[in-house]
Amino acid sequence: MFHPGGVHGARHIAQSLHHVKNAIRGTCSSKLLMQQKAAAAVAVESKKGTVTPPPTGPAPTAPAAPNSVEVYIDDKMVMVEPGTTVLQAAALAGVEIPRFCYHDRLSIAGNCRMCLVEVEKSVKPVASCAMPVMKGMRVKTNSPMTRKAREGVMEFLLMNHPLDCPICDQGGECDLQDQSMMFGSDRSRFTDIKFDGKRAVEDKNIGPLIKTIMNRCIHCTRCIRFGSEVAGVDDLGTTGRGNEMQVGTYVEKLFASELSGNVIDLCPVGALTSKPYAFTYRPWELRKHESVDVMDGLGSAILVNSRGGEIIRILPRVHEGINEEWISDKTRFVYDGLKRQRLTQPMLKNSQGLLEPVDWEDALSGIAARINRVPGQEMAALVGGLCDVEALTALKDLMNRLGCETLCTEESFPMNAAGTDLRSNYLLNTKITGVEEADLVLLIGTNIRFEAPVLNARIRKAYLHNNLRIASIGERVDLRYETDFLGDSVHVLAQLADGDHKYSEILSKAKKPMIIVGSSSLQHGDGTAVLANAIVLADSLRSKMSSNGDESDWKVLNVLHRHANQVGALDLGYKAGPSAIKQMQPKVLFMMGADDGVVQRRDLAGDAFVIYQGHHGDKGAEMADAVLPGAAYTEKYATYVNTEGRAQRGNVAVTPPGMAREDWKILRALSEFVRGSSVLPYDSLDEVRKRLAEIAPHLTRYGQVEDANYFRQSKDLVWNAARPGHSGQTLPAQQRELEDFYMTNTISRASRTMAKCVTAARHQKSTRYGL
Amino acid sequence: MSLIQKTLNLFRAIKQNGGILSSLKTLYVTDDLKWGTHVGTDKYGNKYYENNYYFLSRNRWVIYNPDFHLDYDGSQIPPEWHMWMHYTTDKPPTVKPPVNYKWMVPHQENKSGSSEMYYPYSTTRTKIESWQPAHLRTADTEEQNPKLFNIPQNNRIGVQ
Repeated sequence: MFHPGGVHGARHIAQSLHHVKNAIRGTCSSKLLMQQKAAAAVAVESKKGTVTPPPTGPAPTAPAAPNSVEVYIDDKMVMVEPGTTVLQAAALAGVEIPRFCYHDRLSIAGNCRMCLVEVEKSVKPVASCAMPVMKGMRVKTNSPMTRKAREGVMEFLLMNHPLDCPICDQGGECDLQDQSMMFGSDRSRFTDIKFDGKRAVEDKNIGPLIKTIMNRCIHCTRCIRFGSEVAGVDDLGTTGRGNEMQVGTYVEKLFASELSGNVIDLCPVGALTSKPYAFTYRPWELRKHESVDVMDGLGSAILVNSRGGEIIRILPRVHEGINEEWISDKTRFVYDGLKRQRLTQPMLKNSQGLLEPVDWEDALSGIAARINRVPGQEMAALVGGLCDVEALTALKDLMNRLGCETLCTEESFPMNAAGTDLRSNYLLNTKITGVEEADLVLLIGTNIRFEAPVLNARIRKAYLHNNLRIASIGERVDLRYETDFLGDSVHVLAQLADGDHKYSEILSKAKKPMIIVGSSSLQHGDGTAVLANAIVLADSLRSKMSSNGDESDWKVLNVLHRHANQVGALDLGYKAGPSAIKQMQPKVLFMMGADDGVVQRRDLAGDAFVIYQGHHGDKGAEMADAVLPGAAYTEKYATYVNTEGRAQRGNVAVTPPGMAREDWKILRALSEFVRGSSVLPYDSLDEVRKRLAEIAPHLTRYGQVEDANYFRQSKDLVWNAARPGHSGQTLPAQQRELEDFYMTNTISRASRTMAKCVTAARHQKSTRYGL
Repeated sequence: MSLIQKTLNLFRAIKQNGGILSSLKTLYVTDDLKWGTHVGTDKYGNKYYENNYYFLSRNRWVIYNPDFHLDYDGSQIPPEWHMWMHYTTDKPPTVKPPVNYKWMVPHQENKSGSSEMYYPYSTTRTKIESWQPAHLRTADTEEQNPKLFNIPQNNRIGVQ
């Protein structure tokens, strides 16, 4: 009786995937080279714009394809590929057909009947979303028959839908509201003559994020199809049939997916709404700010909604190159963490060694007094993964002017051979869209489902539609698709690199293989061996490809970072990892957003002065002698470089709280107080960005991916250096289960919603329905 | 009323106020110059007068303690004299002393506008909760007092 997933009525009409042909013949651009070429700023990028428009159908822009057929939509001729549906053909002709169950990125269900249209020589109206076009088909989208069909469907839907629009959170962005206005009848024959009420359905409790009001459900099954197709979680399904049909989880359980929030956007009515957003504002009351997400290394496109200096909700934006139209739950619901544990005023330790609030001038002069006593060689800086490029530039310029060269990121990276000197070593070189072209993905030491949920959704999409084969090395985790598990340690990878593993043959047959190395595995003791072997393996696969006559510039090696701006920091020349700091035992340590606790007091000189600049009170502020309140990602104009090497701009949605300021401005102000001629030469955002372009021009080419090359040189360097040995321990996944996903950085650790999610996930594990 | 009567009143008033200079000062401070019977003085040194020659509502008045100078205010009159001033009773507290119950709070003037003014405490939470260094943290953090922050204790799947 319980039909999970797409089994129910869904006709899986093959959705031909929209391959983004990003034929970038990218020329080289290692960081070294770029710094030399700085002034020249030669355009090394690409003919391809990054944001391709959302596909409304398979390759709509090819009217002259040899086998296309002509279709008449309201007597207007369009040429479409065979297999296109009537609805997609109509979209090409500029006619929008109303729909509830049809969605571009989901399989076709055809059960809402809203898209009925009249087709000539057809007795009954046909569901246009599921009807493939035929040669010479004449479709009437506005005939009396079509209109009557729509009005009838709408009347039935409204009969079973409560009249609670005034208290419904979907009000204003509700498909049912809009389409009943556009296509519905102006009256209804529904009268409740026996006063027995409308259809009533019990609400389901599916977790702390999604509120369900099941009376409003119109059974479009979009959420079910999303769960089974995109998220790979068959938690939602239907029970009963006809008027008794219910959408739900059958038993009360959590909708246990890291992408669950997307069903809120998918739901065409108010049946699934956001729990944290419930009853706060109407959509038209909110200010919308386009921005970039910092919860993982992908930099998903987001729309931050604010009102009255508060962030009210975060929604996804469409970006075909990164997140399509999905975002993870952490991205969507983390915003309440921006209102707690904030640093709102500068603090300085007093004579008793206790932090106490001071004003900016006292804080900066107090810090400068300490800095001025220490030579540059005994200073160091440590930055976290959420810092923006502007702040990183200002910090590096300031510290360099003071004579300090030890600037490190918290996240480490193997530094043997080329290390971070060659940009290709640390980028996701094939780009996120590369997953759709690949035919084999080898995941090394990453739980990609939680480290980059949206990328995992894309891998799953290719797994379903492109027969993508996925192999994994490292701790065994549940990725919601089948993988060939090869082993859990570097040992297997070394065998593959040497070509004497039984899987080597399969790998070498792959036409477009991708190796994705998770940055968490590089933090491990065997990290050096992981990267070295991955580079060797990637090079051998590339040489096999070219010996097979493949001329394409397919890059095999990919590194998946977990932090929003790790690539940006490495591009600017920060050293990866805190080992240099631990060696030198600095007397002054400037920590910017460094909250992972990789450097402790015991790693510093006894009387070391620790300055923390950041937006949340966490491990960093806890050990600091001076605290400078900075701005979080929604509060500043900031540049982030994602794991592909794509520079993106975030915008201001709200002002920083209290006395907090944009980070680069704090450093600019501090430079006025410190010794010598250290004043930073920029006073405005434009001037900072000009400086960014001087250091590395790609940092201001927003939206574009800056390619990297020199794979061969990188491999030669690895080859010439001694191949690092390895301990053969399991490569641990740092986020093993769903409960580990929610709290990974200082913002999400402060979020109460995320805390509820962790509780819910743990509770779910303790029930017999498990996860 | 004759001119003689008025002149007489003026002289009486000047006399009662202690000469021409003090009278001018009283005129400056109170905008009025009157004479009458001194009915009594309250604990703050405010002097109360009555003269039924003036018509009702102007026949009882107060000359505030000169220490107040121009900073006098109606709320500086204690309640027992307030009763007499507002004709709630004709017997001033000098004749009929007020009953003192132990639950009565001492009189206090209205502090609005001063540094000691009353602020109602806020019942709303701030939009942004600031981080506090360890030595400034109070027990009002939600870990120790979840009720204060309205977090359900026994939420099965998160919060419904």
